[in-house]
Amino acid sequence: MEQFLFYTFAASILIAAVLTVTVRNVFHSALYLALSLFGVAAVFALLGSYFLAGLQILLYVGAVVVLSIFVISMTKHITGAGAAGTGRRAVPALLTVLASGALLTNAILRTDWGASFAYSYGAGTDAAAIGSHILSDFVIPFEAVSVLLLAALIGAITIIAKDGR
Amino acid sequence: MITLTHYLVLGAALFCVGLYGVMTRRNAIALLMSTELIFNAVNINMVAFSRFQEPGFAHGEMFAIFVIAVAAAESVLGLAIILAIYRSRQTVNSEEMKLMKW
Repeated sequence: MEQFLFYTFAASILIAAVLTVTVRNVFHSALYLALSLFGVAAVFALLGSYFLAGLQILLYVGAVVVLSIFVISMTKHITGAGAAGTGRRAVPALLTVLASGALLTNAILRTDWGASFAYSYGAGTDAAAIGSHILSDFVIPFEAVSVLLLAALIGAITIIAKDGR
Repeated sequence: MITLTHYLVLGAALFCVGLYGVMTRRNAIALLMSTELIFNAVNINMVAFSRFQEPGFAHGEMFAIFVIAVAAAESVLGLAIILAIYRSRQTVNSEEMKLMKW
C-alpha cells in the first residue's frame, strides 16, 4: 500500500514538474506547479508530518501559486515566443541536468546511510512537538524569520508603491 | 518497502527538473516558479532525513518550515521586483533585463 502511494505521488510530482518547466503557456505552468506542490504535500503526509502537509498546501498552493497567477495576469506575453525553453538553450541545459542528476543519484546510492530506523507509517510527529521546538531550541531563528517576513512586507510595498506617494 | 533512498532520489529528480527550468525559461515569473520546485526538493529531503534518521524528533521538519517561510518572502520580493520592472520596461523576459549586464 505504501509503495503504491509513494510511486503514485512521486509520478504525479515529477510529471507535473516536467510540465511546469516545459509547457509554453505560463498560466498553465502555474497550474501544473500547484499540482506538483499538492503532490509534495501528499509525500509529507506519507512521511507522517501532517502539520507540514497542511502548511505546504496553505502557504505554497494557497499563497505562492495564487500570487504568481496574480502577477502573470497583470503582465502581458503569457504565451508566444520566448515563453518556454527553445532549442538553442534546451540541449546544453538538458546535458547539465542529466549530468548533475547522475552525480546526485550515484552519490545517494553509494552512501551508507547507517542504521535507518524502520519507522512505521501512520506514526508521525504532531503539531505540539513542532510548536515546542519553535518556542524552545529554535526560538532565535523563529524571531529572525519574523523580522525577515516584516522586512519582506515593507520591501514589497516600497518597491511597488508609486514614487513620491 | 520504501526506504530513505527512494525519497532522496525523488528529491534529486525534482531538483534536476527545477534546475532545467531555471536554465531554459525566459519568463521571469516562470524562473521563480522553477526555484519553488528546487525548494520543494530540498524540503522532501529534510523531512525524509528527519523521519528515517531521527524518528520521534522534528528537527528536519523545523528546517523545512524555515525553508518555506524564507521561500515565501523570496517569492513576494521577486514578484514585486518583476512587477516594478514590467512597469518601467514593459517586459518580463529575463533576456531583455540587461540594463546592468556588461
